[in-house]
Amino acid sequence: MTARILVVDDDTALAEMIGIVLRSEGFEPFFCGDGSEALAAFHASKPDLVLLDLMLPGKDGIEVCAEIRTESGVPIIMLTAKSDATDVVRGLESGADDYVVKPFNPKELVARIRTRLRPTPTGSTNVLQVGDLQLDVAGHEVTRGTAKINLTPLEFELLLALALKPQQVFTREMLLEQVWGYHYKADTRLVNVHVQRLRAKVEEDPDNPRIVMTVRGVGYRAGASG
Amino acid sequence: MKPLDWRSYPGRLARFWRTSLQFRTVAITVILSGLAVLIIGSYIAISIGNNLFASRSTQVQDQARTAHNLAQDIFASADPAGGQGPPVELDSLAGTVRDRLLPASASAEGTTFAIMRTPGQQTLQSMQPISTTDFPQQAVSEALRNSVTADPTHVQYQSVRLSDGAPAIVVGSQVQVPDAGNYELYLVYPLSDSQGTLNFVTQTLLLGGLALVLLIGAVTYIVVRLVVGPIRLAAETSERLAAGQLEQRIPERGEDVIATLARSFNGMADSLQRQITKLAELSRLQQRFVSDVSHELRTPLTTIRLAGDVLYDQREQFAPSTARTAELLHTQVQRFEVLLADLLEVSRYDAGAVELELEPTNLVRLVEDAVDSMQPLAEERGSEFRVVAPGGYFEAEVDARRIRRILRNLLGNAIEHGEGKPIVVMVDSNESAVALSVRDYGIGMTSAEISHVFDRFWRADPSRQRTIGGTGLGLAISLEDAILHDGWLEVWSDLGNGTCFRLTLPRDHALPIVSSPLELPPDDSIPIEGIDHA
Repeated sequence: MTARILVVDDDTALAEMIGIVLRSEGFEPFFCGDGSEALAAFHASKPDLVLLDLMLPGKDGIEVCAEIRTESGVPIIMLTAKSDATDVVRGLESGADDYVVKPFNPKELVARIRTRLRPTPTGSTNVLQVGDLQLDVAGHEVTRGTAKINLTPLEFELLLALALKPQQVFTREMLLEQVWGYHYKADTRLVNVHVQRLRAKVEEDPDNPRIVMTVRGVGYRAGASG
Repeated sequence: MKPLDWRSYPGRLARFWRTSLQFRTVAITVILSGLAVLIIGSYIAISIGNNLFASRSTQVQDQARTAHNLAQDIFASADPAGGQGPPVELDSLAGTVRDRLLPASASAEGTTFAIMRTPGQQTLQSMQPISTTDFPQQAVSEALRNSVTADPTHVQYQSVRLSDGAPAIVVGSQVQVPDAGNYELYLVYPLSDSQGTLNFVTQTLLLGGLALVLLIGAVTYIVVRLVVGPIRLAAETSERLAAGQLEQRIPERGEDVIATLARSFNGMADSLQRQITKLAELSRLQQRFVSDVSHELRTPLTTIRLAGDVLYDQREQFAPSTARTAELLHTQVQRFEVLLADLLEVSRYDAGAVELELEPTNLVRLVEDAVDSMQPLAEERGSEFRVVAPGGYFEAEVDARRIRRILRNLLGNAIEHGEGKPIVVMVDSNESAVALSVRDYGIGMTSAEISHVFDRFWRADPSRQRTIGGTGLGLAISLEDAILHDGWLEVWSDLGNGTCFRLTLPRDHALPIVSSPLELPPDDSIPIEGIDHA
């Protein structure tokens, strides 16, 4: 089955060019050129992944991102012309999984898309315990007692990576490689922002985390199960 | 509370002296006026003392003369015959003289007198010395007795100090006693009354002087407070202004010089604020423009890049000339992209819109990473990297992305100009700084070239082929990056002997660099394999 990708970008030439690249790689692209119509296009095309430009007419890309996040955990990759810190962080905080900075090359874009579309690696066990949480690996479900916690695939993958090796401390670079598929030095803010988002969902007190623990100066590890 | 160590007082006082204008002014005023009061007071006390003594002395001499005449008259009248008559009844004469002198010389101060025989005389008979009961014998000095004997016609006097310490005047004169020869009359006039007056005057002067000095000190304190207060306020305000609180002003009161200071200060602050606001606005516009250009250029560039790459990937299917076109398009788009990125970076620096993202970074690891990433390029040019890291504490608060960029730039330059010889990268640290240097043994530069090395778009030798696609902005950006870290980026070069760039960064961003751990010109005495230091 070919993956469906929604391209939200007001620059028709770029959108078309991205379409050509995506088709040549075996994806099925859909297009939307206006921020205010993005959500409708999202409903209509039911994409497996969204490529979202941050600067859009009608509605800001960050708002669109937040709207999609309220109803779906579908992977979102931002296309940003600015490598400036604030825009990237705002985008990630509003729920984008990853970002590519313009001008990007086709290989880079496709690599990012494939990483987000690949199936979640599953361990030998089916149910994992982190702190007071149960991770149903096959069912992509996280529960605390009987309450289900909604995580995006990326957040689930991040939690799973930590949970699979509870003894190990993960540096941000390790997580970037394992969860985001970066094999070179990348932006560690990706990890920071997503750990914050994940904590906001799974921690009972995000200021005093028990599930995703910070190891000062090193990185993160899973909280003790029990 | 911690008890103060008395040994720290001189130091504290000296510090207080240096730091407090108020204290200094009051202290100087009090010391100088105290000195003046002391001099004037002493002068007054001394002249009053002298005056008192002089008038008392005249008075005393008059009294003494009267007493002398009285005594002489009594003695003379006892012998009207002038030595021709019967012997004089000396004992009764002595009693008469004593009884007559006593009331004549008596005074409130307790004058005493004595009549003594001048030694060394042969006479018919001698009179017993007469004296009042409490006559201080030791007050009559040998010198006075001698001068009385030497000059019998005048009254001699001497000021002495009595055994109880009180001052006194001793007056001596010679009287002729009939049949008994020369006798000396001595009168002692104690000056305790005058001394009392003098003491009182001195005490009054002392108290008055002290009060005056204190008053002067207090007045100075108040005056200095009045003047220093506004100055201190101005100093505090200008500090706040310098710290960026541009709306800070001094209240303007009155028409005096302080008010003028406040007004001109506020005028300066107004103009400063206007200028800064204007500059900030310009900078904001510039940033905005850069950001807009960045976005506007990047979107079409992305399309071109995607298109170029798609064509490039399919170039084998094209005719040779079209394939070559696709290749050129691909490489030049890349170059354009790098150039655009560098330009944007430079304009961001110009707009002052750059912020560091500091994190503790191991410089040696960073150097090794950068060297690894440049390895293929170096091998292509036949150069070999030698990393020399003597060990130590290499953690420093830096923006790793910028330092990596500087390193790539320096390494790239070294490869390009190193003529295939080894390239030595050194890393070292001291208490205040970490440093790295990149040394090549290639063509080097003249001193004129060195002075341009950080200029934008400057190239050492325009005629030389550019092999590594630098933009000409690399070192300019590197220098900006180093300055942003409060660090140093310096160059040494010698034509024919190669070039060395040294980057020194503060270990702690808040503390200045004292010295660089690495030497520049580079220390060539360290043996590097494959390099002949001759």
